[in-house]
Amino acid sequence: MKRNVFLVACVLLAIGALAVYADIDPNKEVVPGVKRGDTIIIEDPTVTLVNPDNFNLWMAWSGGNGGYSTGLQQLAMDTLWYLDSDSGVKRAGVKDQTWHNSLAAEKPIYNKDYTQMTAKLKKGNYWSDGVEFTSADVKYTVEIQAQNPTMLFGAAFKVQVKSVETPDKYTVVFNLNKPNSRFHRNFTVRWNACWIMPAHVWQKAVKDPKDAMTYTFNPPVSIGSYVLKDYDKHGAWYLWERREDWKRTSIADFGMPAPKYAMYLMDLPNDKKVIDQTNHNLDMIHEVAPEGMVQLAKNKWETNWFQGFPFGHPDPTLIAILPNNAKAPFDNPDVRWALALSLDITKIAMASYKGAVTLSPIEFPPTGTSRQYYFDPMQSWLKDFTIDTGKYGKIKPYDTTVAQKIADQARPSFGDAVPKDPERVKAMIGQGWWKYDPKAAASLLEKNGFTQKGDKWYKPNGEQFKIKLQNWGPDRPVLQRLAMMVAELWTNFGIETTATWAQDNGTNYNLGQYDVNMGWNIESWGGHPDMSYFLDSMSSDYYTPIGTLHNGRNQIRYKSPELDKIITGMLSCDFDSQKNIDLGIEWLKLTTKDMPEIPLMSYNVFSSQDSTYWSGYPTFDKPYANTVTNWANSRYIFTQLKQMLPPTK
Amino acid sequence: MSIRDVFSKAFLKYILQRVGQCIIVIFIGINIAFIIPRLAPTNPIELKINQMLTSGASNYPEAVQLFREAMYDLYGLKGSLGEQYLSFWKRFLQGNLGPSIFAYPRPVMDLIWNSMPWTIGLLLTTSLLSWIIGNLLGGLAGYYSEKRWTKWVELAANCVRPVPYYIAAFILLIVFCFLIPIFPTTGAYAPGLKEGWSIQFALSVLYHCFLPGLSLVIVSIGAWLLGMRSLVSNIISEDYVQYAEVGGVKRRTILSKYIMRNAMLPQITGLGMSLGGIFSGALITEYVFGIPGIGMLSYRAVTNFDYSLIMGVSIFSIVGVAVSALFVDLLYPIFDPRVRLS
Repeated sequence: MKRNVFLVACVLLAIGALAVYADIDPNKEVVPGVKRGDTIIIEDPTVTLVNPDNFNLWMAWSGGNGGYSTGLQQLAMDTLWYLDSDSGVKRAGVKDQTWHNSLAAEKPIYNKDYTQMTAKLKKGNYWSDGVEFTSADVKYTVEIQAQNPTMLFGAAFKVQVKSVETPDKYTVVFNLNKPNSRFHRNFTVRWNACWIMPAHVWQKAVKDPKDAMTYTFNPPVSIGSYVLKDYDKHGAWYLWERREDWKRTSIADFGMPAPKYAMYLMDLPNDKKVIDQTNHNLDMIHEVAPEGMVQLAKNKWETNWFQGFPFGHPDPTLIAILPNNAKAPFDNPDVRWALALSLDITKIAMASYKGAVTLSPIEFPPTGTSRQYYFDPMQSWLKDFTIDTGKYGKIKPYDTTVAQKIADQARPSFGDAVPKDPERVKAMIGQGWWKYDPKAAASLLEKNGFTQKGDKWYKPNGEQFKIKLQNWGPDRPVLQRLAMMVAELWTNFGIETTATWAQDNGTNYNLGQYDVNMGWNIESWGGHPDMSYFLDSMSSDYYTPIGTLHNGRNQIRYKSPELDKIITGMLSCDFDSQKNIDLGIEWLKLTTKDMPEIPLMSYNVFSSQDSTYWSGYPTFDKPYANTVTNWANSRYIFTQLKQMLPPTK
Repeated sequence: MSIRDVFSKAFLKYILQRVGQCIIVIFIGINIAFIIPRLAPTNPIELKINQMLTSGASNYPEAVQLFREAMYDLYGLKGSLGEQYLSFWKRFLQGNLGPSIFAYPRPVMDLIWNSMPWTIGLLLTTSLLSWIIGNLLGGLAGYYSEKRWTKWVELAANCVRPVPYYIAAFILLIVFCFLIPIFPTTGAYAPGLKEGWSIQFALSVLYHCFLPGLSLVIVSIGAWLLGMRSLVSNIISEDYVQYAEVGGVKRRTILSKYIMRNAMLPQITGLGMSLGGIFSGALITEYVFGIPGIGMLSYRAVTNFDYSLIMGVSIFSIVGVAVSALFVDLLYPIFDPRVRLS
């Protein structure tokens, strides 16, 4: 007996000692010579890289190579302008904080007919090898890519750019093949943009333009405030070190980035993220499953966007149900409205995000500055909006009570974390969505010749109304849950719906060979109201029939002369003009009437931060940047962080 | 047993038959590996375009079309399925599996060679360890079935045997990386170390690969143990064993020379097949513990529809399993004279 007690005591002592071993220690080394207290450890959601030696991120989406968000695009790359997807970092004397003239000295300058864009460059920015950044770098970046359409911006430049002139070291003039008032989009960062190449490095390495696709750009010469220190030969991590001369980079406009080192870890499964952050070995999680978020949020040291329910940062990406507008019966707006009215958004919100959603009834993401430009101004129009359902009569389908209902349903799980103040609830969950009204939905179907036999709906030609609801692959678990609930609701309504999935939505989506899809084709700048970002390719000029691959965002194959007018109007007015916003509202009204796709919610990203070693992360109340770590804009977070535990040895 | 006995006419015929079968299996397997990814409802170029469009990179319609055409050309995906098939065999017979699509322009063979040592190191070690320990314990448990400790061993084996290896991996991860955080959660060795033949590197690999290895070993030991135990229980009642016992042969000798030796035959077949399976990797273990092996590589290949890489990994796997089966077939006559003589 005594021996057993002794053994148990030994085991307990050992466990205690081991727990101490895993304690917080700013002096422990992340890699030899690099202290934990000086290092921020960040999740990069990119898959483990199979070709980690390749830093040529101008290659077209070769995700298996050196990757984009290993710190490379966030810390070592730069371009002319940045547009923050939230409110941007406050700077004294700067009116538009979302816009940052990064390598450019001022905003883009267009000629009258938008066939020429001039960029004035800042002086005093240097590459990490000591060479000054000049207009020659920009010119080379455009010209080498235009010769290689398989490079990320190669095809875009080949199609758009006639020539590039550099009248002096700090001026670049782009002569365009046809008018384009949004050409600067190529050099304006949202998630990424065309990064500028160090011409002096590339010209030496790439003798034949074709070699640009095979050049590995290793080691990468940086124009950002960090340089590569080390990386895993199997692509599991990358370590960056702050440049001694960080003041000679564009980030100097915001002050010194606090972490001396930044380590990006690739491809962490959900459980491991939770474990690593709980053990204080992972400061910033890009995205974790809702269950993991709830678990992490219980800790005092944890920070998330809302500092509690609904936790996730709403990305400027609109999750929507995407019916194939070119395929009957989805080519009929009444049918699309019937599909919308047969959905109970509270059930969808609970099934997908456990209620932690930010809803949108209109075809625009409910994030960033969008409330100010679109959501608030649209409220009275939405409340008055009426549809004629036929036998059931005219209804006003907009429901402003749904956010409160979702909050009430979420409260048993999250308790006091769910706000009670109705204004706060609306700000977090949304101002409203469409009523769950199966009778109106049924009436709309009957109006169009559909019949109900038993509990099943039949099309006017007598065939049973069935839907195949295609969804993204297993990498998007929230979307999968969402699709399952939509399928259940439609099936309960009498439309037999089967949820299927295809990796990245599949080729049949691009070919238009599908019924209804679940995903997104509408994304906004977040910090700017301009809609041409996603809308211009939906012009009927680019419409492709079923069976022909689409060339833009109009996978749903929606066509409307009114939309064409809106797009033409947008592209012929200034990016920052009021007319641009007014036309945006026209789009929202048109699509509310037509319902070409059923908007649901923003893509909420459950990002979690550990404030043990670093604090000052962006939040809903201090929304200076998007919290997701793979966006290039995340570089601004570094300038706002505070070191909490500096190494003592 | 002389060399002449082993290489009799009948045995040579047996070898030729088995080699022929092996070649046919490999040929069919490669063809299936070529066709199946191409029947999927997507392809790597459209996947890249969708990723590009949803990431905010350039999406001017004319540019998208130009990009699409250029990419099909670059990756050799232009032309009919028949043309692609012929060009694949032409390359394959020259020992070239082409560049990876996912990690262009890195050659597929290069990627496989880079991942293979990690998988072989992990799975070969764990397969052999679990085979040896499982069979030894199984033999002892079968022969000394009246002893109390063997009952405990058997009970433990029965408990772990139905546990899938990935559940074991998750349990170990939670216990030893979360509750008692004494092992690292990810990687095959400590960050900052350079791969090489140094003691520091070897120790780091052992430390990092201990949990993944353990998750594979504890589960497979159970299966080998129970299999061996059951075989031994049958053999123990054979006349020649009974006779040896009555004749006063030492129990240890009976176990090792009379029982285990006979019971090993099916276990050798099992080991051969399990070693063949090494080339497919242990996907979930590698994923959970961040081991850069062939399982992870094949997962990346499939999720990115990298036809060339899928083909490459599949070919290695097919060849591995087929050649292992061939080896077992060829070795069998050496262990079992009945096969040799018939």
